Amino acid sequence: MISAFTILFAVALLSLLFHRSVLLKPLSLTAIALSFFFTLQGATVALMGFSSSEHIQLFELVLEVVLFALVLHEEEDITITQTLFLGASSVLLLQADNLLSFIISFESLSIISVVLVSYIKTKEQAEGAVKMFIAGSLATGILLLGLAFYVMGGGLLLEPLATGGSLFMDVGTFIMLAGLFYKLTIVPFHGWAADTYALVRHSHAAILSGVAKTVAALAIFTIFAPFLATHLELSVPLLATLAVVTMTLGNFLALFSKNIARILSYSSIAHAGYMLLAFVAVKSSYADEGILYMAIAYIFMQSGAFLALDSMKKHYGVSTLEELQGFSAQNPILAFFFTLQLFSLAGIPLLAGFLAKAVVFYAGVDAGLWWLVLIALLNSALSVGYYAWIVKTMYFDKLTAKEVFHAPVQFATGAQVILALGTLYFGVFAGSIFNIS
Amino acid sequence: MSAIIFIFAPFVLALLLALFFRGKSSVSKFVSLALFASMLSFSLDLFTKLPNSGYLDLGSFLAVPAFSFTLSLQVDMLSTIMLTLTSVMLILVAFASWSMKNQALYYSLLIFFSGAIFGVFMSTNFLWFFIFWELTLVPMYFLVGIWGAERRIYAAVKFFLYTHVASMLILLAFLLIYKEAGTFDMTLVKEGMLLSPVLIWWLLFVGFAVKMPIFPFHTWLPDAHVQAPAPISVLLAGVLLKMGAYAMIRMVILLLPETSQQYAWVILTLGLITLFYAGFMALYETHLKKMVAYSSISHMGLVAIAISTMSYAGLSAALYEMIGHAFVIAPLFLIAGFLHHKTGSWQMGDMGGIMQKAPYISAIFVLAGLGALGLPGTMGFVGELSILISAMHSYGIWLAVVALGSLFGAGYIIWTLRRVIYGEMSELVAKTNFKMNIFEFAALATFALFIILFGLFPNILFDFLNPAFAQFTSLGGAL
Repeated sequence: MISAFTILFAVALLSLLFHRSVLLKPLSLTAIALSFFFTLQGATVALMGFSSSEHIQLFELVLEVVLFALVLHEEEDITITQTLFLGASSVLLLQADNLLSFIISFESLSIISVVLVSYIKTKEQAEGAVKMFIAGSLATGILLLGLAFYVMGGGLLLEPLATGGSLFMDVGTFIMLAGLFYKLTIVPFHGWAADTYALVRHSHAAILSGVAKTVAALAIFTIFAPFLATHLELSVPLLATLAVVTMTLGNFLALFSKNIARILSYSSIAHAGYMLLAFVAVKSSYADEGILYMAIAYIFMQSGAFLALDSMKKHYGVSTLEELQGFSAQNPILAFFFTLQLFSLAGIPLLAGFLAKAVVFYAGVDAGLWWLVLIALLNSALSVGYYAWIVKTMYFDKLTAKEVFHAPVQFATGAQVILALGTLYFGVFAGSIFNIS
Repeated sequence: MSAIIFIFAPFVLALLLALFFRGKSSVSKFVSLALFASMLSFSLDLFTKLPNSGYLDLGSFLAVPAFSFTLSLQVDMLSTIMLTLTSVMLILVAFASWSMKNQALYYSLLIFFSGAIFGVFMSTNFLWFFIFWELTLVPMYFLVGIWGAERRIYAAVKFFLYTHVASMLILLAFLLIYKEAGTFDMTLVKEGMLLSPVLIWWLLFVGFAVKMPIFPFHTWLPDAHVQAPAPISVLLAGVLLKMGAYAMIRMVILLLPETSQQYAWVILTLGLITLFYAGFMALYETHLKKMVAYSSISHMGLVAIAISTMSYAGLSAALYEMIGHAFVIAPLFLIAGFLHHKTGSWQMGDMGGIMQKAPYISAIFVLAGLGALGLPGTMGFVGELSILISAMHSYGIWLAVVALGSLFGAGYIIWTLRRVIYGEMSELVAKTNFKMNIFEFAALATFALFIILFGLFPNILFDFLNPAFAQFTSLGGAL
């Protein structure tokens, strides 16, 4: 059966033969376009333990668009292959509906993420990769420990997660959540992320924080939402605390950072807090749309921001705020795209980030947690402090760079255009998300 | 032509001009003038189409029924007046900015702003209203940050953050309204549907009070006003503050009349404090533009007092004062900015005797100053008098203290005129050449004309303003 998964997986294997050839990129792009077409036709993995829904299908389409942009941007052969592998396992993870398939595809996504960052050229990249590997191993350990408890309590692997059962099953499920929260970079499991995202190559960080994390968040929500909804008395206070701590800490740390990649990493942690809000508000019927909207908006804006940063670093040597001063005079187009994605992250309207936040926050209000939403809103306002500061550095400060690049330096405009269009489209046409269910 | 064009076409135009016509400043100049002129004709045309009461439906777009998220455009008398005021201000500001540097970007940001502000006044969906409300911040951030004075960056970031925090309270109020009333359509929501009107009232009041601004939420404004380039100060005072007052009338007073009645004393007290505090600060100030900024805040205090009466006469007076304030404060800002541009100083002490060097500009400054202090025959007088009368009518004779506000006004304006326009000619003034661009002077003269015209014949304006609230009295509520 041909589906997005089989195409991506097969072409990922095939692409190994095409390294160092000009055909690699066209081949990969064609494969992603094909998988988009098949997803549009409704093709699913069609194996036992996998099923799809309209929400998942929409997100897969978005994912394939973003993968297209990522490959378009990428210049290294090995990363293109790994992007395809990562896409294939993302599709698996999104469609997983029983516990075993979920855990297997989740682990395959983790492993590919580690392989991705293990393409090391500098000491800093090595540090980031090792931190991620250790955190990932720990997360896997905790996840399996939780699973062991769950199975010991009588849970079944080939069934969806049980919503109620023995004490061991409930305890096991919460332990599993703790393991999964490593991937979601929820405080206190966030330590590795700030370093990894900031130290590895920016295009890798785009894939890790933009794609892998978002896919994981959506998949975890799909599997765990029924369980959380039946354990509100425990899950609401616990997750609400984690959400508040995550977004507040992330935002404050970002506020005090000088390195742009680090600011984006901390902002990624803060966004995990907003996503967690949907987990807290699970009893609201808007939580489904909320997490989906957040995932779609986030995958566009985070990948876009990191890819823009990648181009800036590669062509202009920019990595700190100081080096960014007056950047709009050097490359107005790239500065514009970066600004657009930053404003979307900040939740400025007509961009996807705003509507995503509005829907998630409404889910919170709908669940009767208006005080929690107030904290989240103030956090969101706080985050404008550093996003607007980056924009200020690019536009208001005078150019101080020693080398001024006069010639218009090429960058992957195509990728930026695709991601910017996605951010704009989902910032205006909310109907594409609400009208499907 | 569909109304939605005036919202989204500016966004697209602004983007195209900023990206592809960077070198050609005259293109963006004329495109923006043409756009603003067509906006004005569109707004004037609306007056002929408005029904006697209630809303004129301009269409609904992008419907998302599952989230009540529909861009429904409806206008009534109140919003049509605001649209007209906005387009007039935009045209005059476009003229007043004739000799700005980096014009292509400047005018495309103005165009972007015009789309957002039209969205604010036309949309009757809370969420879309909020979207446009927030969107006005973005061009303003760049306009202040790029073209502002020495401390522009501090002012721009402070402005952006401060008003953004306030907006978050507004968004929470809207989400609560949606939860409790089940719709984002502001024409359908009634106070009776809400379970927690008091919480919503406070969230909305504080949110809009920042924009108006009302003491103690005004601290962003002196910085933004002073550091912004003069035409943008005009836009801030003439359009952005009016947006706050408009929202205060529409979403606090008219949407939640009973709770507003209960807390009218809050608005009144803060309005009085704003009036006197800002007046006192203006008296004390030696920085010319800061003085104008505080005088602007002081006038918004008057508007708040008028709003707090919640009466037909009071709201009409508030609307009149809003328009009057826009026309009176604009020349003051423009001339203050012009003097700084020419002399390089903000301090009143460095100036003096400008009347001898630049009589026409000085005459307009004097006229606008007299308008600000409420001299009979100018717009300022009619506004202040009608607010005084409506306040005394609603709250009793002790509200005659409002008249003292005018006394403060007389104090700082006349003292300023003495120090800047008349008196001995200072050395700085003597060696400066006060030559003004003809288009910028035309904008100034137009403002002066409006001040006298509507001051002598307030009925022209009141004939439009009164129906704006007549329809609300017939709808019931506490008015």
